[in-house]
Amino acid sequence: MDKRIVITGLGVISPIGNQKNLFWEALISGTSGVSEVTSFDTSPFKVHRGCTVKDFNYDDYTKNGSSRQIGKGSQFAVAAAKLAIEDSNIGLNNIDPERAGVSIGTTAGEIQILEKVNHIRHENGEDSVDPDLFLMHPCVNMPSNISIEFGFKGPSTIIPTACAAGNYAIGYACDLIKLGRADIMLAGGSDPFSKVAFVGFSRLNAIAPDICQPFDKNRKGLLVGEGAGMLVLESLKGALARNANIYAEILGYGLSCDGYHITIPHPEGNGVTSAMKKALINAKIRPEDVQYISAHGTGTVANDKAETISIKKVFGEHAKNLAISSIKSMLGHTMGAASAIEAIACALAIKEGVVPPTINYETKDPECDLDFVPNVKREMQVDIAMNNAYAFGGNNSSLILKKFTG
Amino acid sequence: MNNRLVITGISVLSSIGVNKDEFWTNLTNGASGIKDITLFDASKYNSKKAGEITDFDAKEYLGKRGIRHIDRTSLLVSSAAKLAMEDANITHETYGADELGIVIGSTYGSIDSISSFDLEGLKEGPTFVNPMEFPNTVLNAPASRVSIFCNATGLNSTISTGTASGLDAIIYASDFLRLGRGKAVVAGGVHGLTPDVFWGAYRSGILSGSRNGDIEISAPFDKRRNGFVIGEAAALLVIERLEDALERNTKIYAEIKGYGCTFNPDKVSRDHIDTTQGARCISIAMKDAGINAEDISYISACANSSITGDIMEARIIKDYFGDNADKIPVSAIKSMTGECLDASGSLQCVAGVLAINNGIIPPTINYQEKDEECNLDCVPNNSRESKVNNVLINSFSDTGNISAVIISKYS
Repeated sequence: MDKRIVITGLGVISPIGNQKNLFWEALISGTSGVSEVTSFDTSPFKVHRGCTVKDFNYDDYTKNGSSRQIGKGSQFAVAAAKLAIEDSNIGLNNIDPERAGVSIGTTAGEIQILEKVNHIRHENGEDSVDPDLFLMHPCVNMPSNISIEFGFKGPSTIIPTACAAGNYAIGYACDLIKLGRADIMLAGGSDPFSKVAFVGFSRLNAIAPDICQPFDKNRKGLLVGEGAGMLVLESLKGALARNANIYAEILGYGLSCDGYHITIPHPEGNGVTSAMKKALINAKIRPEDVQYISAHGTGTVANDKAETISIKKVFGEHAKNLAISSIKSMLGHTMGAASAIEAIACALAIKEGVVPPTINYETKDPECDLDFVPNVKREMQVDIAMNNAYAFGGNNSSLILKKFTG
Repeated sequence: MNNRLVITGISVLSSIGVNKDEFWTNLTNGASGIKDITLFDASKYNSKKAGEITDFDAKEYLGKRGIRHIDRTSLLVSSAAKLAMEDANITHETYGADELGIVIGSTYGSIDSISSFDLEGLKEGPTFVNPMEFPNTVLNAPASRVSIFCNATGLNSTISTGTASGLDAIIYASDFLRLGRGKAVVAGGVHGLTPDVFWGAYRSGILSGSRNGDIEISAPFDKRRNGFVIGEAAALLVIERLEDALERNTKIYAEIKGYGCTFNPDKVSRDHIDTTQGARCISIAMKDAGINAEDISYISACANSSITGDIMEARIIKDYFGDNADKIPVSAIKSMTGECLDASGSLQCVAGVLAINNGIIPPTINYQEKDEECNLDCVPNNSRESKVNNVLINSFSDTGNISAVIISKYS
């Protein structure tokens, strides 16, 4: 059970870049991925913007090409997985398929397929819907499509714990390796742009009209995004044996649930606090050991306030020494992919000694009075990073990553 | 296994019973819960039946307040969670709310809510949708509702591996407890009958009776089978580490002895049935449990009356158990409950637990015509008294997910 788990490959498809290096360059230079939403008519809404993936062509990533029809969420996930495997330099032929598995998170699965089903039946009636679409939309297709693409025969699972799903999936992947149920795991999250989420969040007045400004006094909400982040995880022993490039070690994680309200975070941040504390205990570190937090930081009034209160509760005096950033300021909220992409950002921050900024930060909020690395990246050594993610349903998660030093 | 895990509570809401005693009586009597659908109008389809729960009133379990905007799947699973915790004599205070977790298998549970929300926007205009219905559109909504109703703040997770989800939720919960991440987990699956999932399955041609002229029947392993009948259920277990259960001196139903998960990346068809990953999955579970092939007293099959799936399971069992395969009773309770999708694996677990405790193996009903390709002892039509020590529970899903759990008499 004391098996150590390391990250040896990173793959990302995001609104600011579709490959690790491009993503990282864009991230540390503070690039915004926001644009007008064009996939459906936003004119009935007060808000019109979102963060979509640009220049994505699935055929560039798959050996199967478009021979097999799969949803956009699977396409993002397979592409990110492909990039992660390439990045890990392991070589597919060197992976024992029976010992390789997939653990992925999502908020809405193949929501675009379901939206298509609904659109067709609304316009042309029930009988016009292509039956194949029914088999394509359940979210179980996401991990299955990855396992099929790479021929993996180990555990293949999906944990749809909404906006915290990436962290849950990564945590479970670590557990599967620790328990000896797999040797190598592709773990992360994926979500295609969801009209349902856009409609829902806009009805809750939670979407920002222009830009996403986490922790800013005048923050006006989140921006719906899309993307995928996948990580190659393996045991330290396996990674060392093949002389792999190790980005970081995953020290542990903590989960909790508010058990309070389906959409509103606990006002005192009780669940959030508990997840962070559990993560620290699981990782066997003290709060003072953490230098960087990748915040959930959605840019909504309630979330950012509750998260700030919680960080202060857990870290005490050390809270003001922490560098905290929300990359959702750049990527928008990529939903189930968010915490996976944020885990990738943490791994790169540790590896490169650079912390990405929170952009669009203009006015200090007395209720959010911590160091949010405003607008400009910061060069600093990061030994330990904490990746926070929270979700509808009160699902809370914190993942802890550490610089690998032997 | 380093940490022995035990089942200390069970609950079931199903078309053949809304409590464990009623469920067990009907299950061992070979009663069928399959009947004409009343929840929505299915008259326009060739398939008209389902394993519908007709005597469920959420108010009885959850009270009247605050349940108006909650969907059927969430109501079923929240009610089942209350029953399971009662059965285990556990509350959020037993170990502290932070040590109590919820893991729910649900893949199809929110689909109807998502479509209703989406269609309302298409019909009325997107700015007129009711924001109160938005929370039901996230796939983890059922599990989250459970946490709120049960004050469980330790863990809340959802697993969506199709028909393997119920079993995979139990496996996830077991892994969580094995690693000491919590003290008690309420785990299992749920599937509430909804028009959208029924319609989708019907249009895909996988439901029994969907083709003109086919009889509509849930007849696993029978030659007349022609697809599955959809069912609804919530079935949950309360799982704890043995040492904790002993310390609080509670009733122990059975032990979760071992489990395994594999994946079959090759497309299964009538002409291409590969058993390698299914047999390997059983082998992993057996090794984990530390038992031998001859120790299995009963196999709870996932066979759901689909033409290819039932053959695949029969072949996998024969492949793994070899000569022993003919001696092991293998029954498919989906003959009575229908295919309860996300709930099916955990429903089989509840039945397995009760088989161990009562020394009775439930039958495969509707069994008339032998199919040489599914030539097993499927406990046809009548239950059988037998000492049951170790039960193998299978979930082999169409999506490639393959899971197996072994539940054993506690000693």
